[in-house]
Amino acid sequence: MDITAVDRAAVLGTSRLHVTSARAKVIAFTLVLATVVVTNDVLVLLSALLLLLALAAGMGMPLRHMLPLALYPAVFAAVFAFASAPSVLSAVLIVGKAVTAALGSIVLMFSTPYPQVFAIIQRFVPGIVGDALLMTYRSLFLLAEKLTNLSTAIKLRAGLAGRQPVRAVGATTRALGGLVLYSLDLSQREYDVLRLRGYEGRLRVRTIPSADGAMDRALLLGGGGLLSLTIILRTAPDVVGAYSWILAAISLLTLVAAATVRWRKS
Amino acid sequence: MSHIHIPDGVLPIWLWGTGWVIALIALTIASRVSEREAVRRKVPLLGVMSALILVAMSTEIVPIAYHVNLTVVAGAILGPWMSIISAFVVQVILALLGHGGVTVIGLNTIQISTEMILGWLIFRTLVRILGRPRVRWAAAVTTIITLAMTTTMLVGIVALAGAGPAAIRDTGALNPATLSFGNPLDGGVVSIKLFSTHEHADDHEADDGHAHEEVDTGLSISRFAAVVYTLGPIGWLLEALITAGILGYVARVRPSLVFEGGLAETEPAHYGDEHGRH
Repeated sequence: MDITAVDRAAVLGTSRLHVTSARAKVIAFTLVLATVVVTNDVLVLLSALLLLLALAAGMGMPLRHMLPLALYPAVFAAVFAFASAPSVLSAVLIVGKAVTAALGSIVLMFSTPYPQVFAIIQRFVPGIVGDALLMTYRSLFLLAEKLTNLSTAIKLRAGLAGRQPVRAVGATTRALGGLVLYSLDLSQREYDVLRLRGYEGRLRVRTIPSADGAMDRALLLGGGGLLSLTIILRTAPDVVGAYSWILAAISLLTLVAAATVRWRKS
Repeated sequence: MSHIHIPDGVLPIWLWGTGWVIALIALTIASRVSEREAVRRKVPLLGVMSALILVAMSTEIVPIAYHVNLTVVAGAILGPWMSIISAFVVQVILALLGHGGVTVIGLNTIQISTEMILGWLIFRTLVRILGRPRVRWAAAVTTIITLAMTTTMLVGIVALAGAGPAAIRDTGALNPATLSFGNPLDGGVVSIKLFSTHEHADDHEADDGHAHEEVDTGLSISRFAAVVYTLGPIGWLLEALITAGILGYVARVRPSLVFEGGLAETEPAHYGDEHGRH
């Protein structure tokens, strides 16, 4: 998980999706998620996946960083599917749901800075939870960098302890212990900063308004449309179930068109 | 088995919905208790410990789908109430990164906070029984007991998802004859036929004389249990070794953190004196 890549893409990106309001993107993501939950049709799931890929490709988002993150939960879902799915198709459905939902959240997070998403979550959770989310986000980058440095140090030390796994494990755990101590020192420093700034139990995040109302509406319409079609296909499979391939074909064409536009621009 | 790696849309809505309700109630209580005092110290501590868990989770062992969690370490330092908040924060961020479903955040929060609270409770008890010099043993035993218990909890959750009338899914949710959905309470807690995990022929359609084939898409509990209880102990052992090493090291350097928690006033050891006994 390269969390720094996510943050970089969200903050420095300039696509239309980046200037869309965080609220519209969160609602659209919720609609896609509802689609994933509702559907039992592999073709509908494939359509949602292709449409998300088309959106990311069309907006010029960094697919090289996004796809590994989206495929990451497939490893765990595959273990779960292998362990519990009664048929191959069910297993494909389980893995497909994991990847599609993950891609949805990754498109959201690659185009929206974390604090903007947390600002929405803050409205629904107790104050200390919202603040802890923001403090976690801040600490995450510092600890990730520290762990990278520690890992380098451990690799260098492994040259001395390569044939002594017990010693190497000892060095690793001491390094992680050092990371715990560093974390607590970091916590103390952040406490000092909060005290200095007069923190009284609520960190405020300024929400950025949308600069592209049309894109807001398009996202909501797209998400709503996809969910509506999914519900129709799910509730009346005998009538329209045989035509779910049309949705997949349209989604594939959309992806091809988006990829062509992206290729021409690059 | 710190959290459930089950995607969205696999577990029935009544199960993950209940998970959300329980998690939000626990979160509200934990927040009220935590906000009573020293909130300025607790917020950064929660932030860094949650970040520490997330950083640890970023190192996965792919062949057995396991990653380091440090939940027992975090539980020992944060205590029970802050553990619940930290568990929720970790799960929200993981879900936003696509690691773990959004719908299962509630169940995951219950799972991970149980692990942290049990870790805190068992570790404290064992340290009291075995004594501070045996902190590594206490940490290792705590981790194995805790992970075994939460793995069983995970199997229980999957068993709940895969059994009973609430998990039955009909292929024809909308009855064309009446143009209405079935009574949600007719065949279980939730059988509005949009969210669940089995498929079988609809009774109304059967009345019409259509041939129907029963398709069982239920989760195989015994196979799932066999897999997690086979792979799990490898992960428990790794986690126990790492947790024992970390807590042993921290107990030498800053004993108050391990024995009194993260909010205790600490007296750092002098450089070069890390290996001294306390």
